[in-house]
Amino acid sequence: MMKLSGLALAAGLAASLMGSTAFAEAVTATPGQEVNAVLLPKFLGILPFDQANRGAQEAAAELGSTGKLEFIGPTPENSAAGQIEMLTTATTQKQHVVMLSNNAGDQIAPAAEAAAAAGTRVVTWDSPIPNGAGEAFFVAQVDFGSIGVVMADMAFDLAGGAGEVAILSASPDASNQNAWIEAMKGTMAADAKYKDLKLVDVVYGNDQSEESYNKALGLVDKYPDLKVIMAPTTVGIVAAAKAMQDEGLCEKVKVSGLGLPAEMVSYSLNGCAPAFALWSFVDLGYLTYQASYALATGAIKGEVGEEFTAGRMGSFKIEEDPGRAGAKRILMGPFTVYTKDNVEAAAN
Amino acid sequence: MTLLTRASPQTLRLLALGLALMATILFFATQIEGYLSPRMFNRISTSAAVVLPLAVGQAIVIMTRNIDLSVGSIMGVVAYMAGQSLSAMPDLHPILTVLLCMAIGAGFGALNGIIIAFGRVPAIIVTLGTLALYRSFLVEWSDAKTITTASLPQWLVNLPQANAFSIGGLDVRVTVVLALAACLVTGLALTFYRPARRFYAVGSNPDAAVMAGINARRVVLSAFIISGAFAGLSGFLFLAKFGNITVVAGLGFELKSIAAVVVGGVSIMGGTGSMIGVLMGALLVDTIDNSLTRWAVVSEFWRDALLGGLIMAAVTLDTLASRQLTRMRKGGTE
Repeated sequence: MMKLSGLALAAGLAASLMGSTAFAEAVTATPGQEVNAVLLPKFLGILPFDQANRGAQEAAAELGSTGKLEFIGPTPENSAAGQIEMLTTATTQKQHVVMLSNNAGDQIAPAAEAAAAAGTRVVTWDSPIPNGAGEAFFVAQVDFGSIGVVMADMAFDLAGGAGEVAILSASPDASNQNAWIEAMKGTMAADAKYKDLKLVDVVYGNDQSEESYNKALGLVDKYPDLKVIMAPTTVGIVAAAKAMQDEGLCEKVKVSGLGLPAEMVSYSLNGCAPAFALWSFVDLGYLTYQASYALATGAIKGEVGEEFTAGRMGSFKIEEDPGRAGAKRILMGPFTVYTKDNVEAAAN
Repeated sequence: MTLLTRASPQTLRLLALGLALMATILFFATQIEGYLSPRMFNRISTSAAVVLPLAVGQAIVIMTRNIDLSVGSIMGVVAYMAGQSLSAMPDLHPILTVLLCMAIGAGFGALNGIIIAFGRVPAIIVTLGTLALYRSFLVEWSDAKTITTASLPQWLVNLPQANAFSIGGLDVRVTVVLALAACLVTGLALTFYRPARRFYAVGSNPDAAVMAGINARRVVLSAFIISGAFAGLSGFLFLAKFGNITVVAGLGFELKSIAAVVVGGVSIMGGTGSMIGVLMGALLVDTIDNSLTRWAVVSEFWRDALLGGLIMAAVTLDTLASRQLTRMRKGGTE
C-alpha cells in the first residue's frame, strides 16, 4: 500500500501544480455582485452531490453574491430527461449561470447551446458534456488521465500484478465514468507493466444498489478467476463490496474504485475493499461556484490561459481539456487513495 | 385433444408456464458453465424473493382491474425508513421490524386506495403520481444520507445468509421462506376465504359485484392497502439483502412486479389469476434476468431488450393459446 499512497501523492502534487502554475496575473472577481446561479447535479439524494452543494453555498456566502444560488436536480428515475428540462427552464428564467454535472451524455448539448445563446452560461463540473457544445468550461475534479492511472495501479496491486479485472460502472451515459474507463484501458495498453492484467468485462449497475449488487455477483459467476472488481462509482463500489462480503469472497475477489470513506469504512477495514480513491466534493462545489461567479460577473471570459483566484483554494487557470478536443477545463485535484490506515479518519 | 379441452384454462396456463420455466433452465444449463448448481439456485431464489411479495400485492390490485405503479417507490421509502429506525433503535425485535415495514407500506397504499376508490381517479394516473411523489418524499426525507450496513443490527446483516432448511443440497434461505409464506397465505385466502373472493368479483364485473351487495370501493381500497403492505415486506427484504440504501432503492421494481404478474397469467382485464401463477411468473422473469447477466453471448445492452421481448412473447403466446382454446371449446359444445 505504501507505493499506492506515494503514487497518489505524486499524482496529486502534479495535479495541483498544473492547476496553480502562474504565468498570467490571476484575476479576482469583485464580491457582492448579483449572480443568480443553479447547481444542477445528476440527481438529488446522494451524499457526493450534497457535499458539492455545501461547498458551493460556502463560496456563495464568501463572495457575498446578492443573487440566489439554487440547488435543484431531477429525481433519480428521471435523471437525463429531467436535467435537460431543468436546464431549459433555467434558461427561460434568465439565470446567469447553470452548474451542471451532466448525466445525459451529448443529448443535453442542444439545450446547453440554447442556454449559451440566451445568455445563461453553462459550467459543467464532475461530469462534462462529452462534445463540449454549449459548455463554457468544465471544472474537473481530477485529471481524467490520472484517474485511469490510479485505477490501473490499484487493480495491479490488488491482483498481485496479474489476473482478471472487471469494471462495474454507473450508467452507460455517464461521461465521466466512460472517460475514466477509457483512460484506464489506455493506461493498461500503453505500459508493459500491466500486460498480465486482463480487463475481461464492463458492466453497468446504473447507480442502483440492487442492480450493482446483482451485476457484481454475475461477474464472479461469469469469470471464476476474477481477481478485482473496479467500480468507479460510489454506489457501485459499496454494493460490490457488500456482495463479495455476503458471498464470503473477499479473500478471492477484491473490490476497488471510487468510493466515499463514510460508506466504505467497514469494507476497507475487513479487507473486502482494501484500497479506493476519491476527491473532495465540497471543494469541487466550492471551486465550481468560484469559477462560475467569476465567469458570470465578467471577471473572466472563459478563454484558455485566463487565471483567477478561487478564495481559499488559491488560483486556477483555464486550459485545453486534453480528453475532449476543443473543450476547456479547470483542473482541481488532488485525489486521495484511502486504505485501512486513513479511511476511519476521513469517514467522520 | 380431449385432455386439452377438459382441463381449465387456468390449469393449462400454469402448465405452459411450468414448461417455459423448464425450457429456460434447460437452455441456460447448456450455455452457462456450472448453471445447475446450488449456488445458482441461491442467486435466483434470493433475488426472486425480493420481488415476490411485491408481485403478490400487485396481483391483487390487478385482479380488481386496477394497477399500482407506486410499489417500487413505497418499497424504497420503507427500506430507507426501516434502516433509519433500526439505526436509532437497534434493539427493535425482528418481528416488530417486519410488522413496522408492512404498516408503513400499508399507510402509503391506503393513500393510493383512498384517492382511487373514493376520489374515482383512475389508478394508473394516481399511482403514476404517487410513484414520483413517494420518491421525491424519500429524496427530501433522506437528506442525502445513505443507510449503510455498518449502522444496522447484526441479525439483519446476517439474515440474507441465514438458512431455513436444506433439501438435496439446496439451501433455502429464511428470506425466501418469508416471501413464499406471503405468497402461500395470500393464495389460500384467495381460494378459501370468502371476503377475499370479492377481489375477483369486483374485477370480473364491477357492476354485478355492486348489485350483489359488495362494497366495491372498500374492496379496491383494501387491495391497495394490501399491495402497500406487501411492498413494505419487499422493502424489508431489500434492506436485509442490499444493506446500503440510497434514494434510488427500489427504482424500477414496479415494472418487475408487473412483469411477474402478467407473465404469471393474471389478466390485466381483472377478475382472474392465481398465486401459484404469480410465483411462477416471478421465478421465470428472475431466472431469465439472472441468466442473461451471466450469459456471455448477449451484451449488456441487449439484455433488457431480450427480457422485454421474452415477456411480450409470453403474454402473446398466452393470449393466442387461450383464444384458440376458447374456440375449440365452442366447437366442442356445438
